[in-house]
Amino acid sequence: MFRRMVASGALGVAVVILLPALVPVAGQSAATKTPWGDPDLQGVYTFSTLTPLERPVTLEGKVALTEAELAEQEERDAENRVSEGRPLAEGNPGTYNNFWTSNEKGRRTGRSSLIVDPSDGRKPPLTPEATKVREQLAAEAAARRVGSPPFVHVIYRSWKDLPTYTQCVARPMPRQNQAYNHGVQILQSPGYVVIHYESMHDVRVIPLDGRPHLPDNVRLWNGDSRGRWEGDTLVVDWRNFDPRQEYEGAHQTNMHFVERFTRVDAKTLDYQVTVDDPTTWTAGWTFVLPWRGDDSNYQQPEHLYEYACHEGNYRQMEDALSGARALENAAARRSN
Amino acid sequence: MSNRLSVTTIALASAVAGAVVALAAARVVTQGATTPYRASRTPDGKPDLNGIWQALNEANWDIEAHNTGPSPAPQLLGALFAQPAGAGVVEGGPLPYRPEALAKKKENFERRLTRPTSLELNETAGDPEAKCYMPGVPRATYMPFPFQIVQTPQQILIAYQFANATRQIHIGREPEAPAESWMGWSIGRWEGESLVVDVTSQIDRTWFDRAGNFHSDALHVVERYTPTSRDHLLYEATIDDPKVFTRPWKMSMPLYRRVEQNALLIDFKCVEYAQDFMYGHLLRP
Repeated sequence: MFRRMVASGALGVAVVILLPALVPVAGQSAATKTPWGDPDLQGVYTFSTLTPLERPVTLEGKVALTEAELAEQEERDAENRVSEGRPLAEGNPGTYNNFWTSNEKGRRTGRSSLIVDPSDGRKPPLTPEATKVREQLAAEAAARRVGSPPFVHVIYRSWKDLPTYTQCVARPMPRQNQAYNHGVQILQSPGYVVIHYESMHDVRVIPLDGRPHLPDNVRLWNGDSRGRWEGDTLVVDWRNFDPRQEYEGAHQTNMHFVERFTRVDAKTLDYQVTVDDPTTWTAGWTFVLPWRGDDSNYQQPEHLYEYACHEGNYRQMEDALSGARALENAAARRSN
Repeated sequence: MSNRLSVTTIALASAVAGAVVALAAARVVTQGATTPYRASRTPDGKPDLNGIWQALNEANWDIEAHNTGPSPAPQLLGALFAQPAGAGVVEGGPLPYRPEALAKKKENFERRLTRPTSLELNETAGDPEAKCYMPGVPRATYMPFPFQIVQTPQQILIAYQFANATRQIHIGREPEAPAESWMGWSIGRWEGESLVVDVTSQIDRTWFDRAGNFHSDALHVVERYTPTSRDHLLYEATIDDPKVFTRPWKMSMPLYRRVEQNALLIDFKCVEYAQDFMYGHLLRP
């Protein structure tokens, strides 16, 4: 049903917003309400998908895939999931990713990309400023590499040279397209919508009372969210990100997101994000990522397990940093 | 003679009247004190605990009665982060430690700022608060940071500001814990005006406070949250841990609603502030 909605291509975003209101699924009103009258978005969902964020070059011009093409992709994935194409022996869980990832059919959206605007399905170009920053970061990273291919290692001077996610400090927002820990829950109480992500046990408490954002100098890893209803759609204005937070290769210093959540049916939310940062991209862009309640691993709130990232991270940090010291010592000995 | 009598009569009558009035007033006061506060209701008819709450006491320093004390680094910090005295939140005297557990508590306190220069040290010494580890239950309730209760019929989510710790309390269902966890496994039910929460499966690496009071993996906590006014909750927690204590014991304290306009739970992701303490020994010398 969702594929049919987006196959209209050029209408893209507008169709996706309008159709749920016009075509409720039989037997379930798309617009259920909480007892105090807000649209009810509550539930346990996952947002994993095999659809890439950007349209692959090989699919240029193609907004949606045919059923035959989707079936072919499913088959290819199934082959990749077993160990070297051979059927699994009894008791063998398969390759690393096969064990960890959620492989249910329907993980694909039917589109060639999550990005629906621009119409080529790709992010707009970077600004000259952002390009310079990216080149600078790449140069700094290159300077920290030792060895020659294929034995190239990165020297971590300190924990700060590791991604913030690896440090268990924070994880980029908005969340999109994870293979695992992709469970999320929405709860509502009067005046609030609350989003609880399993990953990083992050909770976003979104006030709906129209209060202003935090002052601009208050910057948070998960930003600051304010919500309002437009009909049956929750519109969330999201800003005040920590400048060190990174999203799609860019610092989130000036990032501004507008999210739109709309219930499609009992098990599905339509989730759209417009990314707006004129200091990083020359134009805004929008992606659509369905939040689905059909993953057997995430049916009830208790299926969102505690994600004690930092509490379990000591050995990883010790290994990464002591390993870096060992590489430095080895390089120093070689040069002496 | 008759004048004296009438004055005396009036005086006596007034005294009796006064006593009657006083008695009546006393009865009113008594009735007021014994009628429990009835909180406003959620749409499903339960006491409404939604809101941002915070404890206002010295329990995070030491849940027992304690003196003032210096900060960990007086030469560096002066009176900043020096310890205030507290009358304690534990009911009925000192904690009933088993003798060997009391020795461990003292060792915890002495080693509370041991830098974890090995995995073994990280797991056996040091106040988990210094490492920005999730504080567990009940410590999360009385750390000097707010928390937000989000209440739905099937589930209560509590989001704590410190370390962005999160816990789910399941209502009307009793799913089983998949494994032990830092914030425990919580099953809740309503008893009159109180939310009663059974907390089990807590990992044994959290403390009750900065003084080194601790528990084992046998810890079983029963919490009660009872509204006592529009802006106050009475929080009670019964601690049962036979590996550490000779009997169960109980703590209690008020919780205060954050009533400022636009009260907001602002994330406190403190991991970045713990990194030098935890990994500083692994930097290039």
